[in-house]
Amino acid sequence: MNPFNLPRKCALREKFVVVVSAVIVVSMLVISGYLIKRQNEVFHQQLDKRGVALITNLAYNAEYGVILEAEDELETLIKGVAMADDVIYVTIVAADGRTLAGTGKDLKGTVRQLPIKQEELEVGSNKVQDKYFRAADGAEFIELAYPVQTQRKSVSKENLGAVAGYSEEQGATTTEIIGEVRIGLTLENMHKEIVKSRTAAILLTLMVVLSAIIIMTAFVRIITRPIESLVDVTDHISKGDLSKTVDVMWKDEIGHLAESFNRMIESLKKSQDEIEEYNRTLEEKIIERTKELEDAQSQLVQSEKMAAVGQLAAGVAHELNNPLGGILGYAQFALEKIQSKEINEFTPKDIESYKRYLSDIENQSRRCKAIVRNLLKFSRTSQTLELQEIEINQVLDETLSFLEHQLMMNQLSLKKMYDKTIPRTKGNPGQLQQVFTNIVINAMHASRPGSEIAISTRWLPPLGEFSGAIEVAIADEGIGISEANQKKIFEPFFTTKEVGKGTGLGLSVSYGIIKEHGGEIKVKSKPGEGTVFTIILPLEKRSDSVEIISNRQGV
Amino acid sequence: MEGGAIKSILVVDDEAIMRDFLFDVLEGFEVEKASDGDEAIAKMKEKEFDLIITDMKMPRVSGEEVVKFARETYPRSRVIVVSGYSSLASVGTALGYGICAFLAKPFTIKQLRAEIDKSLSQKDVNPPGESRRENG
Repeated sequence: MNPFNLPRKCALREKFVVVVSAVIVVSMLVISGYLIKRQNEVFHQQLDKRGVALITNLAYNAEYGVILEAEDELETLIKGVAMADDVIYVTIVAADGRTLAGTGKDLKGTVRQLPIKQEELEVGSNKVQDKYFRAADGAEFIELAYPVQTQRKSVSKENLGAVAGYSEEQGATTTEIIGEVRIGLTLENMHKEIVKSRTAAILLTLMVVLSAIIIMTAFVRIITRPIESLVDVTDHISKGDLSKTVDVMWKDEIGHLAESFNRMIESLKKSQDEIEEYNRTLEEKIIERTKELEDAQSQLVQSEKMAAVGQLAAGVAHELNNPLGGILGYAQFALEKIQSKEINEFTPKDIESYKRYLSDIENQSRRCKAIVRNLLKFSRTSQTLELQEIEINQVLDETLSFLEHQLMMNQLSLKKMYDKTIPRTKGNPGQLQQVFTNIVINAMHASRPGSEIAISTRWLPPLGEFSGAIEVAIADEGIGISEANQKKIFEPFFTTKEVGKGTGLGLSVSYGIIKEHGGEIKVKSKPGEGTVFTIILPLEKRSDSVEIISNRQGV
Repeated sequence: MEGGAIKSILVVDDEAIMRDFLFDVLEGFEVEKASDGDEAIAKMKEKEFDLIITDMKMPRVSGEEVVKFARETYPRSRVIVVSGYSSLASVGTALGYGICAFLAKPFTIKQLRAEIDKSLSQKDVNPPGESRRENG
């Protein structure tokens, strides 16, 4: 979850910061722009006012200088004006265009052409002509122009020499333009101020944005921290850890969310506990049922075994009847003989005969005992696999002794091909007999009269990692097993026999027994030709051979 | 086979104890032993026996073959079948060739003697065909 959550979380914070910063920057720029524009206008107005004041004052003072063309006086006037730091130049021109006085830069070509047309200047007005210029070097300035005017009286000859103070009433006066004053005012100072303001505005904007970012980051963190805590706890929950809870920091919406989340964890924990409790009892139940199943399984093995014993009963009886026939016969015969004579009539030859009869009886009784013991060994219940040293050929012979009669009854011949070199191995003889009995009985049921059942054993000697094995093959020439059925024959309750003729458990029980021996049971069959069951029993790694080698090394 | 002459008996059994016992117990008879069907048939080819006592289950040539050979070759020979199986069913098709008695092991000497006496005193034994007819 984290690799997906992390970038999303960052994006949330960044988006927030970027949007708010953008809003701040835009509004700051708009405000600054407006303020700078206002400032610009104010500067212009102030400059204009100053310029107008300067130029009108100068024009007024220059009146007599121009009339008299007193250049020195005009220069002095100009110098006073030019002292102001934003004045670049001051020029006074006569009405005919001659420069009467001038100071400052050479501004050739930028100056308006003279002579000044009378109509351009409104006589008697206070209007100052201003014009914007940009010098070749890029310096900006405005030029103010104002006419120098004078009052002319039409004085009659008779009035000449009269007191000037009376002249106004005595003659008509006309205003006449006699020249022009031009002042160049630089805009550089204004520009400098504007640049300063702009820089200040930018700095201020940056500061505001920066502090906004800092505040926002902190704020976003305050908001996201509980969310991160939520995400962290969610991660833990998704991993099955319910021990963590979300810290409730504020009583806000997220706080509410955290609280309800904690409640959810609580109920989740509760239901998990319930499930665990249920699982535990389930486990107990499973153990109990498994035990029951195991018991049933061992009962099944036992009943399957007893069913085999039942099938063997006739064979066992036959096996017993032969020695019993000898025992009964010789016992009766000996008794008859002994009863027919007086003790002293017994010849040594008679005694010899009786001895032979008795020893025959003894031998045959032992044979009976062995058969019974063998049968008991076979039918004995064993809950666990008790392993003992066995000789596979002997186990097979003991099994077949009970089966031979049945084979004979079914007119089947038995062919034994034993490998006499097979070493002894560990196994449960009773269970192995059960397996062999089962397979031979199946073979018998599948065989036609007159056919053969071949039983062969083979030793697969150890080779490298392989510690060797015993192979027992039981082959018949019977009807065979179809390929589809070959896959199912080891399944429990699978049978091709009629209802009541087989439990369908024989081979599955056999399979279990061989598996328990660490072996394998395989079937190979061709319908109509016969079936071969192969049982492989692994041999244990023998440590004694190693000992022998070490002994030899010792010698 | 005149009445007074010593009767000859062939004992056929793969079980040594049974062969020996029958040999010992059948005093007053001329007894020969065979341990399987092959040997029995070989002996019968040499001479005719009055009585053949044979087991059924034997390796290679079974008792059935012995009965068949004896009855077909010497119709006057009597046959007693002894078997480890208590059921007459184990005698199988041999029954069809005409046998005098069936003895299930273990049997008593008394039973054995009674069956031998009965068999030897029997006037005639149904030939195979008649026997079948009778059974059918």
